[in-house]
Amino acid sequence: MAPHLELHALEKRFGATRAVQALTLAVGKGELIGLLGPSGCGKTTTLRMIGGLMPASAGRIVVAGRDVTALPPHQRDMGIVFQNYALFPHMDVAQNLSFGLEMRKIPAAERAARVTRALAMVRLEAFARRKPRELSGGQQQRVALARALVIEPSILLLDEPLSNLDANLREEMRNEIRDIQQRLGITAVFVTHDQSEALAICDRIAVMRLGVLEQLGTPFEIYERPANEFVAGFVGRVNRAPAERLADGRLRLGELLVQGSGTAGPGPVTLMIRPHRIRLGDGALEGPGWNSATGTVTRRTFVGDLLSIEVTVGPATLLVEQHSFAGAPGPAPGDAVQLAWRAEDTLVFPARVPA
Amino acid sequence: MISAGPGRFFFHLLVVALFLFLLGPVLLVFPISFSADSFIGWPPSGWSVKWYVAMLDQPTLGEALRNSLILAGIVTALALAIALPAAVALSRGSFPGRDAIMALLTAPLLLPTIVLGLALLIIFVTQGMIGSWPGLILAHLLLTVPYALRVLTTALGTLPASVEEAAASLGAPPLSVFFRVTLPLMAPGLVAAAAIVFLVSFDEVVITLFIVGPQLNTLPVALFRYVESRTDPLVAAVSVLMVLFTLLLVVVLERAIGLRKAIGGKGG
Repeated sequence: MAPHLELHALEKRFGATRAVQALTLAVGKGELIGLLGPSGCGKTTTLRMIGGLMPASAGRIVVAGRDVTALPPHQRDMGIVFQNYALFPHMDVAQNLSFGLEMRKIPAAERAARVTRALAMVRLEAFARRKPRELSGGQQQRVALARALVIEPSILLLDEPLSNLDANLREEMRNEIRDIQQRLGITAVFVTHDQSEALAICDRIAVMRLGVLEQLGTPFEIYERPANEFVAGFVGRVNRAPAERLADGRLRLGELLVQGSGTAGPGPVTLMIRPHRIRLGDGALEGPGWNSATGTVTRRTFVGDLLSIEVTVGPATLLVEQHSFAGAPGPAPGDAVQLAWRAEDTLVFPARVPA
Repeated sequence: MISAGPGRFFFHLLVVALFLFLLGPVLLVFPISFSADSFIGWPPSGWSVKWYVAMLDQPTLGEALRNSLILAGIVTALALAIALPAAVALSRGSFPGRDAIMALLTAPLLLPTIVLGLALLIIFVTQGMIGSWPGLILAHLLLTVPYALRVLTTALGTLPASVEEAAASLGAPPLSVFFRVTLPLMAPGLVAAAAIVFLVSFDEVVITLFIVGPQLNTLPVALFRYVESRTDPLVAAVSVLMVLFTLLLVVVLERAIGLRKAIGGKGG
């Protein structure tokens, strides 16, 4: 599939700081790509450069083979959903949607039909004559989405569109955005700092840090095969422990010898194990491809659906997460427990050189 | 916060005292304007509306009022025409020296008006602009553009840039963004700026005193001159009308758009 949106060595400098560095990325037609990272990673800056709201310092932006790097935003044909929605407060919902069509000189009759269709798409038919301030946050969000989509842009840009919604609505809107994006088959770039959002709806995710692309991959790849310690730590919760890679490939964690994935070493390494991949066992799971250890429970936290247990194993403290079951309170602090986890769930990265 | 007890009582007393101090002289003008005496004095020996009738017989004041209204009207239009593009450039653009230009354009607010008046006198005398319409208009612009600029940049500052960015992303070229989105959203600010400019120009005495001539006079200066030679309550009657006119303007604006909100305070 030929890429629909291409970034070539895109760069943004503010004085001496490089907010985005040599970012190269190709997004396929109809793909939803997530730009994920902590604040200051350059994800929003990248989105603003794609939308033409901010000039690029270097590099090129290509849409469907056409270089748009120097085009002003009104000639880029991109629909943008802003974090604060940025609805026109002096226009009602229908006028908000109609604005982009008027700018495209669409005849009035067709405008009305498209506005009606777009309102139906976000289930706001009854709200056409309301002013934005008379709508709830979720409704404003849907108007913003409909307004960006009614112009049938070549690319949809979403800048943290869910961060102003409360938790329940966020999940609902996230799925709605994904449904509409797939139904229309529109190429979309979704900026977020929330890894679960990105994992849930993106086809691929670009994890960024300090202006640099750390990893580009499917949610599965990002989660299961993180390219480095930063990606592993940012996407999902993880246990971290310093260890040493021996010449035979095994890893020494205090007194314990375990097997792990990756090729880092020999020498000092960092082990990373996701809490829910560790089982509290009775030894039955031990076997080829499994690591096992014995430890002492130091803390138990019950959070409803999950039971999270802190276990001290030699020099390391491992967090273990299990689904909770009625009538099974789980081990108490002070209990000795057996742990087991797969070798492939033991991520191994080179230990960071102390600065 | 003062919530209850004697503290609250004294707080209210203080507020009332402050209001009396600020508004007392203005309020005093009302009864004096209905005085039957031929001089300003308190209390008046009798009541009458003769000074309101006498106003009709004052061609000089009538002419000055006409001048003041025309002047304030022209100055308002020109001040907005200058301040609006300047405000947009200053709050939306980013170019070197932006802050310096903003400071320069609002500096006349800080200068003593008497200094400005003297400076204008010196310049205008050499240019033969004393007592001329262009001279008066220029002088009042100098005084009012900073006010207009302040109000308009505040109005623009409260308008999120993302709304304009959204319009641009939807295909609106810069001029369409300005006329379809920016201008309607800053309408309250524009009306407020116009009102302030009009009132400042209409009330201005100090600078105008330096540059009016025998052929061209404004109402405040004419009143000032009148009081220099006579002390009858006619001035009080004129003042009452001016106060009522100003009050009317402010009330209408407050009702229409919320003047306090437009100026940048906490609107109600």
